[in-house]
Amino acid sequence: MKVNEVPQEDGFYQPDSTVLLRDRNFALDENGKFTEVPSAGWGPKNDAIKFTWKNRMEEAEEIRRQVIAGKSSPLAYHMIKLQMTPPILSGYTGISKRKIKKFCKPKHFASIGQGELDSLADAFGISVEELTSID
Amino acid sequence: MEINFEHRHAAHCENGVIRNLLNFYGVKLSEPMILGLGSGIFFSHMPFYKMQGMPLTSFRPFHGRILKRVTKTLGIEVQEYKFKDPDKAMEKLDEILFKQIPVGLRVGVYRLAYFPKEYRIHFNGHNLCVIGKEGDEYIISDPIGMNKNRLSATDLKKVRYAKGTNSPKGHMYYIKSMEHYRPITAEMIEKATLKTCSDMLDIPLPMFGAKGIAYLAGRVRKWEKLYGKTDAALNLAQVIRMLEEIGTGGAGFRFMYAAFLQEAGEFLKRPEWNELSMELSQVGDLWRDFSYNAARFFKQREGALSYNDLANKLDVISARETDVFLRLKNSIERGK
Repeated sequence: MKVNEVPQEDGFYQPDSTVLLRDRNFALDENGKFTEVPSAGWGPKNDAIKFTWKNRMEEAEEIRRQVIAGKSSPLAYHMIKLQMTPPILSGYTGISKRKIKKFCKPKHFASIGQGELDSLADAFGISVEELTSID
Repeated sequence: MEINFEHRHAAHCENGVIRNLLNFYGVKLSEPMILGLGSGIFFSHMPFYKMQGMPLTSFRPFHGRILKRVTKTLGIEVQEYKFKDPDKAMEKLDEILFKQIPVGLRVGVYRLAYFPKEYRIHFNGHNLCVIGKEGDEYIISDPIGMNKNRLSATDLKKVRYAKGTNSPKGHMYYIKSMEHYRPITAEMIEKATLKTCSDMLDIPLPMFGAKGIAYLAGRVRKWEKLYGKTDAALNLAQVIRMLEEIGTGGAGFRFMYAAFLQEAGEFLKRPEWNELSMELSQVGDLWRDFSYNAARFFKQREGALSYNDLANKLDVISARETDVFLRLKNSIERGK
């Protein structure tokens, strides 16, 4: 890669404008010496991330339809949407994997205690209101 | 309270934290040199080891390896801690920090507040440095950020106790003593380089090292049959992410290692290493060509290549990398 080929294709919104996350590429200058050049990002990588993300959102949309049809609970929806898995969620909340899978069914979702709701919402980084809805 | 610590941007978080910590203690090394001394380039594709439900493809050794190798080689003593209790982990951080010692932390990125949401996966090998505290806020030097920034104690505790594979458990480390520090020598570089060559050439399992790339090629050819169309494309996307994820310096560390070979070649007065550097840089270009075509593939652009075509590209890369590292190894062994 040559210095003038270092891509500057920014793909994603950064929540903290001070830190300014950047790649750093090692590229050859006109004398054949490696030079370090900060890079805002590269199209194919951004596309790969967006493709994976889009796929997740489609899966979540499918679960959303199931929630509306009464076949799944909002917890199942948020797990897919926020890239969570039962074992990892169990690690964050201390609620057993078995119980988490149970709460993915609508009739058991209604029986979650307030304490459990709080810790689930906290693990996701969302509010209890968001956790119990599918908007 | 803020330690007078020079924040410098780096390509890779672990290299960057090590380089910035060493710099704080007066040892000036470039990031490629850290990568080279830490034998930080690798390849593995493990269908049985899943990350985010997909086979793991990796272009570097497991995290923490580079820190251990570099500090051991240079005779620098590092103190590490892990804690069961998050409050104890925060207390210990403060205790060390207030002795004016910068502290490296391993954190998870899933809940790292300043990361874009698309990057927040369950990856627990991110490294950053804590260099100060004001009120309830920590001053952070994250090497992949152009600037220093701040995190609240609550947010920092969250990422130090991220869950999932390889949970950091409050992992922290700092330089304890420079008493036995040895400046870099030709012998150190050669030894580390031989280790790299051995990692890339000698592991007798098909999924590791330069031949592992050909193994991946074999898997890629079967993906559609094994996983179906969508999951095959997701697997391909995953490989590109790992190649180009923030931190690799482009093409899965190949460019950074090429920069190391150039710098080391000058240090050792081995002009042949500059040739190898240029060849590895070309291999990096081939990796980029692979990513470029793969991205066209899953975006379903017209005229996109098939899995078989992409696998053929990987076979070429595998052969080229084998050749580069074999010649590198021979050049050291001949020199003895």
